[in-house]
Parts: sequence; structure tokens; C-alpha cells
Amino acid sequence: MKNTIKIERARHNLTQAQLAEKVKVSRQTINAMELGKYVPSTVLALRLACIFEIEVTELFSLESTDW
Amino acid sequence: MKTNYLFPNRFKIYGWIILIPSLIMGVLSLVFEIEPTALEFEMPALFVDEFMGKNKLAGTVTNNILNEIIGVLIILSSIFVAFSKEKEEDEYILKIRLESLVWAVYVNYGILLLALSFIYDFSFLYVKIFNMFTILIFFIIRFYWQLNKLKNES
Repeated sequence: MKNTIKIERARHNLTQAQLAEKVKVSRQTINAMELGKYVPSTVLALRLACIFEIEVTELFSLESTDW
Repeated sequence: MKTNYLFPNRFKIYGWIILIPSLIMGVLSLVFEIEPTALEFEMPALFVDEFMGKNKLAGTVTNNILNEIIGVLIILSSIFVAFSKEKEEDEYILKIRLESLVWAVYVNYGILLLALSFIYDFSFLYVKIFNMFTILIFFIIRFYWQLNKLKNES
């Protein structure tokens, strides 16, 4: 699964630590998601979308390997 | 993330404080066969298996309780170390926790299968003694190794 967390974070001028605090996870988790190492739960995906004020589908998209 | 099956974070430090001396004492008492007479007691037992005698379902046995004390301390403290919350226990940490637990079970039973097949008689008793603690110890090693890797990566 691909995501645009890093781009959205830059757009909102947030550091990994600031975003982590807003969505109530550790900074390492934000980093792992940006690197594509971790696929978040639905709740965390919704929280991220809420902070960035966009739809979840704009933030995350499926890849061919997800099928 | 809300988890009700983990201990509060402060239990981790208590766990380490008890675990390290208990492990050292455990190894020393096993190697040097330490059995202080002050710790010899008549203990209640669920099953009494008397040497050259009859087996009874309940009764008492004279036993040196040093190894029981050490065993209880190691088990409780390693549970605290293994299953206390991290300062920021989020869903990614929980995933690492689950993966480490599965890994620890596989490694533990892998080693036990080898030991079961190739170690016999009295030596196997030592395998079983260590095996009481290894699943937790393997979990702790793997979990903290992964956490450390995560902290260094980012």
C-alpha cells in the first residue's frame, strides 16, 4: 500500500514528532509508515486523514501487490 | 492504543531490578548446587513421590526452597519485563510485540524438539529447567532487539 503521508506532512509543515503527537502514536510509527514498512490500522488511517483534512483514499492507495 | 492485558510502564523497571540478580543467582545455584540449610522446610505438596515408597496425592515433603524462590522470581520478573507497556505503546509496537511472541514460541519449541530428540536421561532435566524460562527470555531478547533497531533506524 502506498501513502502520501510525507507529502501531506510537508504541505502542513509538520515534523514527524508533531504529527505523531497529533495522531497519538510514536514518531517511529510515523517513520515506519512513511517508509512503507508499516500499514496502519483503519483508526490510525482515519486519524491521519482527519489531521490532513483529506479523504483516506487520497492518503492511501492500493498497489498491485496488495491483491 | 488501549490495551488491558499489559502492565503499566513502571513495572518494567521493577522487572529488570528483580530479573538480573535472580538470573545470576539461578545460574550460580545450579552450577554450584547451593542449598543453604536455613531454607530447608517441610512444604505442602500436591503430589508426593517418595523414594522407594508409596505415591500419595497430597502430603508434605522436606525441600530446600531456594530454587523455588529463584524460579518464581525469574518467572514473575520476566513477565513484568516482557509485558509492561512501553512509554508510547502504539499499534506498531503491538505488532512488533506479537511478531516477537510468535518468533519466541517457534525458537523455543525448535530448540525443545532438538533437545527432545538428542538429549536423554538426567541431562534432559536441565533442558526442562531452562525451558521453564526460555520462552519469556527469547521473547524479551527479540522484542528489545527489534525496538532498539526501530529507534536506531529513525
